[in-house]
Amino acid sequence: MHIVDGALSNPVVIGGVVAAAGGIAMGLRSLDIERIPTAGVLSASFFVASLIHVPIGPSSVHLILNGLAGLLLGWAAFPALFVGLLLQAVFFGFGGLTVLGVNTLNIALPAVLGWLLFGRFIGRGSPVAGAIWGGIGGAFAIAGTTALVAFCLALSGDEFLPAAKLVFVAHIPVMAIEALLTGFAVLLARRVKPDLFEGRVVA
Amino acid sequence: MKSLLLSLALMVAPLPALAHKVIAGVFPAGTSIEGELGFSNGDMAAHTEVVVSGPDGAELGRIVTDADGFFTFVPVEPVAHTFYADLGAGHVAEVTMSAADVAAILGVVEREAAAPTATEGEPQPAAVTVAALTDVERQVIAEAVRDEIRPLRREIAAYKEHNNLQTILGGIGYIIGLFGLGCYLAARRKLAL
Repeated sequence: MHIVDGALSNPVVIGGVVAAAGGIAMGLRSLDIERIPTAGVLSASFFVASLIHVPIGPSSVHLILNGLAGLLLGWAAFPALFVGLLLQAVFFGFGGLTVLGVNTLNIALPAVLGWLLFGRFIGRGSPVAGAIWGGIGGAFAIAGTTALVAFCLALSGDEFLPAAKLVFVAHIPVMAIEALLTGFAVLLARRVKPDLFEGRVVA
Repeated sequence: MKSLLLSLALMVAPLPALAHKVIAGVFPAGTSIEGELGFSNGDMAAHTEVVVSGPDGAELGRIVTDADGFFTFVPVEPVAHTFYADLGAGHVAEVTMSAADVAAILGVVEREAAAPTATEGEPQPAAVTVAALTDVERQVIAEAVRDEIRPLRREIAAYKEHNNLQTILGGIGYIIGLFGLGCYLAARRKLAL
């Protein structure tokens, strides 16, 4: 899911940096002191999740967990995921420093979109209904990320449809796993700490 | 459900490991440059086109990797060679061999061209030791050594990609520190109000 240095053309990289900076600014403004610990925990889980490889056939994919971060943090997912991505680039060599902006945008924007679309349903109704919406949000964030990755590659010269198909198909299993994980995380949070989702509709 | 899962698995199976880092390396190998291309999980990039270009960006040639992700390129000019490969889906590999290394390879070529006349010219009895090796023998030995070293090289490349617990804990430490700092700043702002 991480685009590496040198794969994208310069305008795409610069555009990504500008858009990601905007998102991070939005996120920092909405990040009040009560939510900083949540953001830290989700940033850390995103950082580690990429090391959990799920073997599928001869290949393997890794978890991303951006949907969960988006649903819990809203715009604050931008700074949280940015920190995770920065450390992944520095420590593990995933992605790269020049494409950090694009990667942040690709991963955090669908997370925020998922929150805008499905976030309001999660705190409502029974915990199980909330968990189902959480699962949908989790899968949606991955699907959105694959679409954005393919779009970035298309802007840099790759054919859009084959690239999109390749990335999307490879991540179908991730979507399923993340939907399950996000759903159960929401279920647990609704049962244990219901106030995590309250008062979150306006940011 | 089972058949759906199976068909999903089959759809995914032939794809390259998208979640992995690309590993690319080039090494001098006798009169040519040998390189390998693959992913950090051990999958090699088979039948991938590699574009070779000079320092000014001019294309020097194209090569296709074999089934094991290996390729060889015979340099002609003593300039820096850049090897670029697009493995698809945002995975690109770029490695450069410096002009000095390429010149050394070309130097080998020149030395070998000059060698036969030199050995014929001076049939020294002292040449019973290492110098007694003919160029063919020397090449065979070099080849054998390369074959022996290859798995080691691969292992070192894989080892470099290995993330140990310290790295992971270090990263988490950074995250805690950063968000702790954020908490501190936010708390100060709150107190100032």
